[in-house]
Order: sequence, then structure tokens, then C-alpha cells
Amino acid sequence: MSTATAHPSRYGRFMTGLLRITLRLDTFIHKLYPTDFNPLYYTGGLSNLFLFILVLSGIFLFFYYEASLAAAFESVRYISDGVPYGGIIRGVHRYAADGFIVAILLHLFRNWFTDRYLFSRDNPWISGMFLLLFGGLIGFTGYQLVWDERAQVLTAMFLAMLRSIPLAGDGLAKIFMGGVGIGEGTLVRILFLHIVPASTLYVLLWWHYLRLRHPKVWPPGVWVLLVVGLVFLLAGVIPATSGQPATPAGRPTSFPMDVFFMVPFWLLNWLSPGAVVVLSVLLFVGGLAVPYFSRRETAPQMGVRHAGIAQVIDGNCTGCELCYFDCPYNAIVMVPSPGPGLSKAAANRTLLAVVLESRCVECGICIGACPFEALELPKFMERDVRIEIAQAVQA
Amino acid sequence: MTNPKIVGFVCDWSVELTPLLNGNRLRDLPNVYVIRVPCSGFVRPGWLEDALNQGAAGVFVTGCPYGDCLNREGNFLMRDRVDQQQRRLQRRRIDPARLAMFAHGLHDRDAFMAEVRAFSDRLAAMAGGQATPAPATEPAPAGGSS
Repeated sequence: MSTATAHPSRYGRFMTGLLRITLRLDTFIHKLYPTDFNPLYYTGGLSNLFLFILVLSGIFLFFYYEASLAAAFESVRYISDGVPYGGIIRGVHRYAADGFIVAILLHLFRNWFTDRYLFSRDNPWISGMFLLLFGGLIGFTGYQLVWDERAQVLTAMFLAMLRSIPLAGDGLAKIFMGGVGIGEGTLVRILFLHIVPASTLYVLLWWHYLRLRHPKVWPPGVWVLLVVGLVFLLAGVIPATSGQPATPAGRPTSFPMDVFFMVPFWLLNWLSPGAVVVLSVLLFVGGLAVPYFSRRETAPQMGVRHAGIAQVIDGNCTGCELCYFDCPYNAIVMVPSPGPGLSKAAANRTLLAVVLESRCVECGICIGACPFEALELPKFMERDVRIEIAQAVQA
Repeated sequence: MTNPKIVGFVCDWSVELTPLLNGNRLRDLPNVYVIRVPCSGFVRPGWLEDALNQGAAGVFVTGCPYGDCLNREGNFLMRDRVDQQQRRLQRRRIDPARLAMFAHGLHDRDAFMAEVRAFSDRLAAMAGGQATPAPATEPAPAGGSS
């Protein structure tokens, strides 16, 4: 306890500074947009929109793609040149992927800096880290599928990184390639590693939304139109292209950079493959640990009172379900009432509200929802509010 | 009676109150008593009506900008509840304009003060006539703005 209090004070001040900067950015954006249309409030919905675009365009590309070393590059070129509007769809897939990564990174940083991951809200954070990991993997395998020179370099780099893992490394590389070297099975495996994690994203999204009552899964209509239009415009103006076809004998040394997906490979300029693997693992594990090790002592350092977990007053609860509908975290469940309540309104109840303590974030929204005085925050009780109101109107 | 008594419920996460407060009252508008709440959604609409019945000229609730509630939808819910409470007040012959909902972010101190001041001026122009129906015939709007 004593060690925990000295450390978070400086960290807490730093995070408070980040919070203020993030909200300062909002006040600037509000000069341009009404608050309901602030794109930073909809980064999650924008990510979901990009993912939807990716899935639709990806299904189209899947019809034409051939996963073999000889035919992969040709099939991608046929999509670009031969299929009507194929080049557009390919570009859409490419730019939506970039937008997806940008949107989820914005989503991550905004929710980090505004404290929306702490305490009972760790589930969306943890699932979000997995979504980020899978998103990066899907982007990387997507670049490999084209099987041009860049894909070849990437594969070589990735294999070097896999082999640098002690003990399991060679086995993992063999599994990835489907043999001792890159062969006919390799691209099939890469295609699998592109599509199956993409489907898994939706499973992870279910986990992501699990504790949220009304998740904002979609941005406002104007932003949907703008994003779709922007992606199509980019795809038309700057078509997505392949490099030179990969050849078994080729030893390319450089490739066009994509800042959104290839940062780990870019780091290989300075670091050994093993160091990059260790760094990535540290980043991921550190990300998973963020809600726990950075936990600040609530009351003084976050500048708010510690309200305590909401408590149901059994005798007053009428089982009306209002708190159940309004709780933003699904922390209230209705159970069959074990017996009648004490108050007149509660005499004929059939249900009883129960607060799941592990999900409650102590926001008090259920108190505002309850017209029967059947819920209380232990450290901020109705009686105290009424005393304050009396003080306010007296003077 | 020139300055109407106002009770404000202000969310801890919305506008930064520390530089604005003097005790529990706003420094610039000492007729406004602030009750800080953990989220605007915490406020039970019944309390707002009670405050009006106990002699407050006006009550307001301040939450974060819509879409940015720390608890995701506390301010949307509170906006709906305030609307509902205003209809309820109307049925009880209490002027619903005495109840207001504001939304301001951490840095929106000036906008918040401007809105509270406008609210206060509006209530002063009503001359408190709605709270006690008997002296409502007496106009007495003098000094409302000063």
C-alpha cells in the first residue's frame, strides 16, 4: 500500500495532464462540429464501420484470389486490371485497413487518456488489446497475400523473427510455412491466417460489447457517408498497386513502407529479430496490464469521491426494471423476488434488482433511474443530498 | 429577492469547478449553490422538484458534452429525465423553465458561467412569481439584471 501511493501520484498527475489535453482537443473540435458529431466520440463506431467495409470488400476479393505461389500475383493483378471495378475494390480494402488501424489506435488512446478503462471497465480494454493484436496480424498477412517482392521480404523478416524465439521458434516457422521451406502450402496458410482472425474479430467484438448496455457501434450517418466516400475516392485517385512479382531467386532489400502495419518490420533496421519479438510481447503484455498496474487510488488522485458500489434497498424495490434498463454496464440484473417488499409499491413485486459488484463502476446512474428510493450509493446517500438541498435553499 | 436562489447539480467530470467556487457557491454568482455529484445521471428527478418546492427559484443539472459522458450515457439519460420532469412540473402548475439541463466539458468554464448567468437572469425576470402564486400580481422587475 505504501509503495503504491508514492508511485501513482506522479503517474496520476501525468495521466491527468493527458486527460486535460484530450479534452482540450474536444473543445477545439466543438468549434467545428456540434458535440453529437465529434468524430472522436465515435472512434469505436468508426472502427466498426471500417471493419464492415473490409469484410464486404474482402469477400469480393476472395472470389478471385488464388492461394498458390505461381498464381497469387497474377490473380491479384487480374483483380486490379481484369475485373470491372476490381481495382477500386482492392483499393477500398487497402485504405479501409489503414483507416481501421488509425481508428482503433485513436479509440485506444482516447479511452486510455480519459480513464475509461479503469476498475470494472477492464473487459473492453483487454478485449481491445486482443482486437489490436489480431488487427495487426491481419494487416500483415494481407500484405503477404499479394506475393510481390515486398511480401517476400516481409515473410523473410517474419520467419527470422519466429526463428529467434528460443525452443519453439523453428517449429513455429515450420508450421507457418507448412514445411521446411516456403512451398505450395504457405500461401494457403497465410490466407487462412488472414480470414480466420478477421472472423475472430467479431467474436472479440462480442466480448468487447459484453459489459456495455447500449454500445455505440455505428457513427452518425454523415460520418458513415463521409468515410465510405473518402475510402472510395482514395481508391480511385491512388490505386493500390503491387510491386515486382516475387521470384524464388530474388533477394530484394527494400520495399514501400506502410506506417500503419509495418512498424515492427521497420524496427528491424536497428534491432535484431529477437529484440523486436521481445519488444512486441512486452508491449502487448504491458497493454494488458495497464488497467491493473496503473490503477490510481480513486478518491484524491482522480479528484472525485469514492462513492461505493450501489446497494439495493430490498424493502423498497418494486422490480420495475428501470435501473436494469439504464445501467450502462449491465451491472444490474433482475432476479425472481424471494418475497414481497416492505413499502406499499413493493408489495406485489415479482422481480428484485441485484447489483453485480464486479461490474459496478459506482457512477450512480441507477440512483437517478429509481423513482422508489430503492437504490443508494453508500458514501453519497439520498439523505445527504437532501440535507445539502435544504442548506442551499435556506441561506 | 433580487437574486433568485438557484441550486445546481454539477457532475464531477464535467466543467472544472475549483477555480469557480467559493465554498459551495459560485464566486461570481453567490446565489447559485452547487451540489457536486459523481455523474449527472445520479440526480434523481424527484430531488429537483423538491428543491423547487422548498423555495429554490431554479434548479439546473450540468453534465459532460453529449456523447462524452464518462459513464457513456449518464447525460443522455439525465436529459431525458429532465424533459420528463419538466412535463411533470407543467402538470403541477410549476413553470418548467425553472428547471434546466446544461452540458459542458472540463474546459468550458466561460460557456458554463455564461449559461448559468443567463439562467439566473431569466429567473430574475420571472421575479420569483411562480414559486408563490399569491404575490405574482406584483410585477417588481426592477433590479433584475443588476
